[in-house]
Amino acid sequence: MLEGFGPLVRKDLRLELRSGESTVALVSLSLLILVVMVLAFGPGGARRAEVAAGALWVALIFAGTLGANQALLAERESGCIRGLLLSPLEPATIYAAKLAVAMIFMTEAGVAVLAVLVLFFNLEFGAALARLVPVFLLGALGLAALCTLLATVCGRVRAGAMLLPVLVVPLFTPALIAGCKASAALLAGQPIGAVTTWLKLLAAFDVLFVTAGYLLFEHVILED
Amino acid sequence: MKGPVSIALAAASCLSMLAALFMVFVYVPTEAEQGIVQRIFYFHLPCAWVAFLAFGIVAVAGALYLWLGHRIWDDLSYASAELGMLFCTLVLITGSIWAKPIWGTWWTWDSRLTTTFILWLLYGGYLLLRALADDTDEIARFAAVLGIVGVLDVPIVIISVRLWRTIHPAVLLTRQGEHGLEDPRMVATLLVALGAFTMVFVWLLWLRLATLRLRTRVAALRKDVALLDLAGAHR
Amino acid sequence: MAEVALQAHRISKFYGDRPVFHGISFSAQGGEAAVIVGRNGAGKSTLIRVFCGLTRPSAGRLLLFGREPTALQAAHFRRVGVLLHQTLLYANLSAHENLEFYSEILGIADPAAHALRWLRRVGLEHSADEPVSALSRGMEQRLGIARAMLADPDLILLDEPFAALDADGAALVASLVREALARNAAVVFTAHAPLEIAGVELSLFKLEGSGLTPFKDEGRRGALRSLLRRL
Repeated sequence: MLEGFGPLVRKDLRLELRSGESTVALVSLSLLILVVMVLAFGPGGARRAEVAAGALWVALIFAGTLGANQALLAERESGCIRGLLLSPLEPATIYAAKLAVAMIFMTEAGVAVLAVLVLFFNLEFGAALARLVPVFLLGALGLAALCTLLATVCGRVRAGAMLLPVLVVPLFTPALIAGCKASAALLAGQPIGAVTTWLKLLAAFDVLFVTAGYLLFEHVILED
Repeated sequence: MKGPVSIALAAASCLSMLAALFMVFVYVPTEAEQGIVQRIFYFHLPCAWVAFLAFGIVAVAGALYLWLGHRIWDDLSYASAELGMLFCTLVLITGSIWAKPIWGTWWTWDSRLTTTFILWLLYGGYLLLRALADDTDEIARFAAVLGIVGVLDVPIVIISVRLWRTIHPAVLLTRQGEHGLEDPRMVATLLVALGAFTMVFVWLLWLRLATLRLRTRVAALRKDVALLDLAGAHR
Repeated sequence: MAEVALQAHRISKFYGDRPVFHGISFSAQGGEAAVIVGRNGAGKSTLIRVFCGLTRPSAGRLLLFGREPTALQAAHFRRVGVLLHQTLLYANLSAHENLEFYSEILGIADPAAHALRWLRRVGLEHSADEPVSALSRGMEQRLGIARAMLADPDLILLDEPFAALDADGAALVASLVREALARNAAVVFTAHAPLEIAGVELSLFKLEGSGLTPFKDEGRRGALRSLLRRL
């Protein structure tokens, strides 16, 4: 079913290793967003956990919507997407591969953001931070699933690159609520058991939109 | 647009709306606790129902377009999205008017308000896409996918917002939409109003669809003209 | 009788209300070669994109190996080799990596060796490790043609294959076309001016005024040829 998935992912990673464009853009953008958040809200205070969690998700959502679809956008801009469409690859396989690559990029950005978050907000390295990892990954997967599906709006519509966040962010709100709440609770020192409801919600969101993307992708990628 | 269906829909809409207005302003008793402002609820809830119905149609028509490929489904989807947005806006406005005297504020992050607002943003994005994009099959397919994804999102938005508000108790005292329709006359009024708004929606949808169909026909005629020009130029 | 690789029945393509071409019927059989001639902007590139199933026609029916493009199985896509206006190569990957990647997704055994064979075939073995962005336009064109031919396709659609090629390159393409015809593939390509390939019987078509017509000279030449044969 996923024939060609491996070569596609390997090709994109090879391209990324060579240029480093997406990593640099994603990491620097999310770091800048963090800085803005810290300057706006101040690093200390009683609601430190909530502000830190909020900063994490704002960085994810804006860097993510701009960066998660880099691999797909590059493919369209160079016209090479046509080469893939003319190959025996199923559109769903292209979707799966681009989603995997987007997840890899977002995980990179996530690691950088978490590291800097600890520094900026004087958080403690430790269990609380480790517990944040599944929450972040689940959120990133949902965002990447949406962005990869809807990325084709860029290039087809005037101001498409600006339209993408306008379309994706409202769709992402359930996961955003769940992610923010769960992260804030975990950073405030609560055990992972306290946020299972949110984790379930995130998982449901991911399953729903990864499936939808996998099934619907062929309709948005075909040309006229 | 002057077909029998259109006239029948117009007549039904006018009559049912007149009946609804009579019931809301004359027939139904004033609710004891909230007073006169409660009557807006008979417009508020039907608008919400119509908005949800419209967004459902966006998704179903979008799916049918992807499946069958006929442009009429895309036109239906587009028309329904526009009307859904209109009624969604009315929900927010009537909700605010009601909330000011009852909750003491125009806006509060009550779970239902928040859900409606997120839906409003979602379909605002959909309409923005259609406004910015050219009218091509590519965009029609993209919009269909967006409509389907949007409806899939609705239940999960409702769940998440409800959890969000219950876990974090509201600052304001919010009565969770318990409007206390103990009087059977209130129930009757609500049902008539629901019927009236649905009729109006169907009528408007019919009119808008007819307009969009005309647009599609004009586009087809333009193609024919372009072909004739071409044939003339090469004769 | 040879298989009908490509059959287009009254296909049209519009962008908005602007017709690119209209009511074109065309078919290509195994072992036959056709060249479609047209000026710049006549719609040759769009026609090739529609022929290969990448772009949907606005009206009409297109069959590849007797099936609608949407109903094609993965195996059928291996049988279609396409060179578009773009070469469909990744600028930041080397020539060898490009061919290796496409061989992989085509499901060819030992993609690295296969890629190397094709690099030698198109005379690029010395530039194998150069990124495509460093290749000249003509070299990139050779590589793009190699990409199209990787899986020994049964239907070959080439958009301006001779563009940017020197004499050696043109001879190379001619020999590739001859080889393809010898293994009973159908070849369709576009050009901006009529041309001939030594040892290949080409049917010429003209794309003009949004219609596709057999080239005017062809009738005369056909008559001449049969006359010569009779003599």
